[in-house]
Amino acid sequence: MELGGLLFYLVSVLIAGGIYAVLCLALNVQWGMGGLFNAGIAGFFAVGAYTSAIVTTAVSSKHLGGFGLPIPFGLAAAMITAGITGWIVAKICVRLKSDYLAMASVGIAEILRLVIVNESWLTNGSLGIAGVPRPFGDLLQGREADLLYLVMVWLCVLCVYILCQRLYVSPWGRTLRAIRDNEDSARAAGKDVDWFRLQTFVIGCAIMGLAGALSAHYFKFLSPSATEPLLVTFLVWVMLMAGGSGNNKGAIVGALVIWFIWSATEIFTSRLPPEWITRSSYIRMLLVGLLLQFVLQKFRSGLVPERSPKIRSD
Amino acid sequence: MKKTTYALAMAALLASGASTLAADTKLGLLMDITGPIASFIPPLQNAANLAVQHVNENGGLLDGQVVPVYGDTTGSSQGAVDAAGKLINVENVPIIMGALMSGTTISAAEAAAIPAGVVQISPTATSPAMTDINDNDLLYRIVPSDNFQGQVLAKMVLDEGIEKVAVTFVNNDYGVGIGGTFIEAYKALGGEVVAEVKHEEKKNSYRSELATLSKAGGDALVVVAYAGDSGSKIVKQALEGGLFTKFIGTDGLRDEALISDIGAEALASSFFSAPTSPADNPNQARLHELYTAAYDEPADKPFVDQTYDATFLALLAIEQAGSADRGKMAEALRAVASAPGEKVGPGDWAKAKALIAEGKDIDYDGAGGNYDFDENGDVAGVIGKFVVDGDVYKQIAIFE
Repeated sequence: MELGGLLFYLVSVLIAGGIYAVLCLALNVQWGMGGLFNAGIAGFFAVGAYTSAIVTTAVSSKHLGGFGLPIPFGLAAAMITAGITGWIVAKICVRLKSDYLAMASVGIAEILRLVIVNESWLTNGSLGIAGVPRPFGDLLQGREADLLYLVMVWLCVLCVYILCQRLYVSPWGRTLRAIRDNEDSARAAGKDVDWFRLQTFVIGCAIMGLAGALSAHYFKFLSPSATEPLLVTFLVWVMLMAGGSGNNKGAIVGALVIWFIWSATEIFTSRLPPEWITRSSYIRMLLVGLLLQFVLQKFRSGLVPERSPKIRSD
Repeated sequence: MKKTTYALAMAALLASGASTLAADTKLGLLMDITGPIASFIPPLQNAANLAVQHVNENGGLLDGQVVPVYGDTTGSSQGAVDAAGKLINVENVPIIMGALMSGTTISAAEAAAIPAGVVQISPTATSPAMTDINDNDLLYRIVPSDNFQGQVLAKMVLDEGIEKVAVTFVNNDYGVGIGGTFIEAYKALGGEVVAEVKHEEKKNSYRSELATLSKAGGDALVVVAYAGDSGSKIVKQALEGGLFTKFIGTDGLRDEALISDIGAEALASSFFSAPTSPADNPNQARLHELYTAAYDEPADKPFVDQTYDATFLALLAIEQAGSADRGKMAEALRAVASAPGEKVGPGDWAKAKALIAEGKDIDYDGAGGNYDFDENGDVAGVIGKFVVDGDVYKQIAIFE
């Protein structure tokens, strides 16, 4: 282990952790504030990733576009298309009770993923989209370019965090929590519950689209293997639960802690004795599961639990 | 107290890693161990371990032993980038063998291996996108690209003296990939494509497509489709309408189902292309023997040959480079894989090590082929030409 190598490992953990932090913040808007059980994160993530990739890559005969636009357009387009997709989905299923919404959203995420795999005129199907640019790709070469991307990812995390925090303390956020905690009394107080839920769902989905776009530009290559539900949907849920749902800081902490556990366990399992070598990957999965159990059992309401802001009564 | 226990456990784990001797060299093995292709992996891990074992039992690598380090991509891009990053930054491996799926291979290369200047050699990734990646000569693979068959087929058709064809291909990655490459290559070689029609799968009638194709008056119809789906129906309906009598197919059409549907007589003048292995490759037989002896199970499983070969090539490259210096790997890999040089095959580590020590050039010919890399780090495969012979297909020529 050399020190420079460890630094770059840390950089890669923080980039991936940052992308997960954006996803966690998005889920926190939907679940933590609004109580919407969205189990279809991977679908909206994929929509955002593919939109940004198509908008920013050079013209190709293999998929729609590309349009070769600058990356900020890609990120904006990703948020808009993911938001619109979220709006359509919300129109149909946001009225469902939480467990039914979970089932419906799993189904919708799979539909979106299957469309991506099969509509090759749009996405080049299973072959994927190559040559997705990185911001300032010509400026820096090699591993140093990752440092630049790290800054960009965390700027996005910061913007999303500020946005979510503003939402949380605003009257809008208070209404959401009222709906989350007791839908009937919120309705009795004259709040349009369905309309608030729709807004929540769309905002969350748009942010998920942003996370997808950030991943696409990080990998520089986008194929359906970037949208595996295990790593995109379920891991994000674990992160939010471990971090503390309802708390934006908790969402970021959860993303970093869980991603570090996920990633660093392999460093230990690859040091197991040689007889275990073909099993080490499975031992790692077991270890990840045990550690997640530990975190979830030990910190029931998350590492950084929700604290509702005081309501001034003067 | 509890904390001390944790700390001790962590320290013990880390220390067990540090106990590898300084002279030992690590080899990165990036595989999709858990995830969608998990069921393929155990024999491939055996194959990679076999290569490592052959090295360690026959003189070792450089001045020590080779220590394999596995990275698990979990079959996803996120996991692939993470695992490759750990192999490069934490384990400090000089070269990476893997990954297996195209999606994980390219993500790992683009976001981890290429920026760090580490050579990556995939045994199985076939995506055409890999050819054009701007990789500073760092990304290699030892299976031909999906596009390769299209180019060979173009040559095969012209060799037969057919200079005007109509082409139809199924609208999926297989059909569009091979069909598109075929048309491009055929035109470049001087052939004329009189009509090209893309068709959808799972229809009952392809008569309107066939009408368009036959009007243009080609000498033969090239069909890039699966016999079990659109392929058989197209051939059948073309024969019924008397539109074409000569068909040219790819491996998707070269299916016994086609013969039982159409009959051998009607296919007498048709021919087919399909990937095949070099005729009687003694290296393949040798590897299978070694594999079966070591693991007591048959070796004819998908990609066992290629995984062994890729691992062995990576190890040869380190030996050839003379040190674990990442910057020398690409050149060394090309040197040991390509002709000219003294031939070595699977299991010949002692011989190869001696030759390298003498300063002689070597050329590894593996169980799956000769592996002479082109400038993109791709290899040419071997495509056979098949005709119908009774109820089965017979290979009548080999194109490389």
